[in-house]
Amino acid sequence: MSNAIEIEGLVKTFGGLRAVADVDLRVPQGSIYGLLGPNGAGKTTVLNMISGFLTPDQGVIRVHGKETHGLPPHRIAREGVSRTYQNIRLFPGMTVLETVATGAYQRRRSSILGAVLLSRAERRERAEVTAKARALMEQVGITAPPGALAETLSYGDQRRVEIARALAAEPRVLLLDEPTAGMNDAESHQVGELLLTLRGQGLTLVLIEHNMRLVEEFCDQVTVMNSGAVLAVGTLAACLEQPDVREAYFGKRSDARRIETLRRARRG
Amino acid sequence: MNLAAWNTTLQFAGVSAIFALSIYASLWTGVLSLAPVFFGAVSAFTFGWVTLTVGLPPVAGLVLAAAGGGLLGVLTAFLVLRLESHYLAMATIALVLIGRVLVLNMEDFTGGVAGTLAPGDLGTWLWCLGCLGLAAYVLARLRGSRFGLAASAVREDPAVAQSLGINPRSVQLVGFVLSGVFGGMAGVLQASFLQFIGPDTFYTHLGFTTLAAVVLGGAFHWLGPIIGAVVFTALPELLRGPLGEFDSIVTGLLLVVIIIYLPRGLVDLRRLRLLRGRGKTAVSE
Repeated sequence: MSNAIEIEGLVKTFGGLRAVADVDLRVPQGSIYGLLGPNGAGKTTVLNMISGFLTPDQGVIRVHGKETHGLPPHRIAREGVSRTYQNIRLFPGMTVLETVATGAYQRRRSSILGAVLLSRAERRERAEVTAKARALMEQVGITAPPGALAETLSYGDQRRVEIARALAAEPRVLLLDEPTAGMNDAESHQVGELLLTLRGQGLTLVLIEHNMRLVEEFCDQVTVMNSGAVLAVGTLAACLEQPDVREAYFGKRSDARRIETLRRARRG
Repeated sequence: MNLAAWNTTLQFAGVSAIFALSIYASLWTGVLSLAPVFFGAVSAFTFGWVTLTVGLPPVAGLVLAAAGGGLLGVLTAFLVLRLESHYLAMATIALVLIGRVLVLNMEDFTGGVAGTLAPGDLGTWLWCLGCLGLAAYVLARLRGSRFGLAASAVREDPAVAQSLGINPRSVQLVGFVLSGVFGGMAGVLQASFLQFIGPDTFYTHLGFTTLAAVVLGGAFHWLGPIIGAVVFTALPELLRGPLGEFDSIVTGLLLVVIIIYLPRGLVDLRRLRLLRGRGKTAVSE
């Protein structure tokens, strides 16, 4: 199986901080890939470099065999990479339907003149885009009416609008930054089911996720990061076997002892 | 105020509205630009020259000015779009200043300090409303189009827009072309109504009052700039009767009140949608 994303020797430094230090990543095509690690591990920085928001200091990023590092974000998007955001970023003032339709930008062909003259092609395209947006809203499970302001929706629905907007671009790779943050178990599970459906449609999915149950159930493979470096690669179960992964998540045994001593001292 | 005075005031409000739409066209794509004043100056003096010196009919002058404005929009875009937000705005203000220097120094063409005449044939309600209607129609048609959605996206969050494959620079280039065409038309109409144009006709004052009209009318829908321009051209005239020289105080207070309580302007689709959503009525587009 070929790789949808290949990353070699990725480095990003902010001032003196090496946010990402020599990271390799191979995401097989048509898989659900988890990017794990504690806060500040550099996961979002990696995602930002894949989507072009940040330019790597060093390293190679290939999407479907094409080198994309150094390209502006809109060019990378045209290579079939879509994404969602950790802090939801919807367009203020836009309805749900408009927001999702905006995502279809790359798939629309009509010209400005066509729009002004309201040509037949323009009318057909608008009808198609509206129908597609509605279908996507249904697929991701948005319950709010299409004419509602996207920013007034519930937290979970806002995340779903972001996913629908990203999907409207008909990507081949979808990057999801904490797609289930703020959702309850049932809602998270729905997102998991959605990921499976999308994988079935041939999409490659990369997600940053803290919900271990979700990762265990839906991710084919994971990479665990800590302090900008890769700790472990493989299935979740195999990664959690590794002592340094446990340490990154739960701390050292010696730390636990120290905390206990401190607590006792404070009480005493 | 008598009828004739009202007539003149409202005609100038119509021209202001076209200028306001010219500012709105680039504001829609996230660019604050006073270049419309420059576009207006270039087109007005060109109009005066081609009609009175070269001898073209005024209608041909209008078409030429609109096309020339669009071209000037492209040139301006290439010149200033490499800059970011407020530096970009500063550059367009610089353009307005440069425009005045050009008018003062290209005497053979512009009449220099003395200014020049322009034919008044197009200074009628028909042409004024025709041009305004055309500009508004184009913007209304573009609203839900591929370009329209992309423009709003670039304005609200350029980074997210880029991740959807939208190139902000090309969207903003289109905004400048629209701005140039509208600015060109507005300049010709202004010249036609005044029948005399000088170095101060198209200067910073016009830019700032028009910008105020756009912001207060509502910069998020094409209707906002039109309403803003009409209200803020007519209001001072209305107040001048009962209040005399205090009219500007009331206008100023009104501006402050609008900025505080209606920060997105008089025409605010977002507020309407919020209110509609609160009423729990199901909305279908």
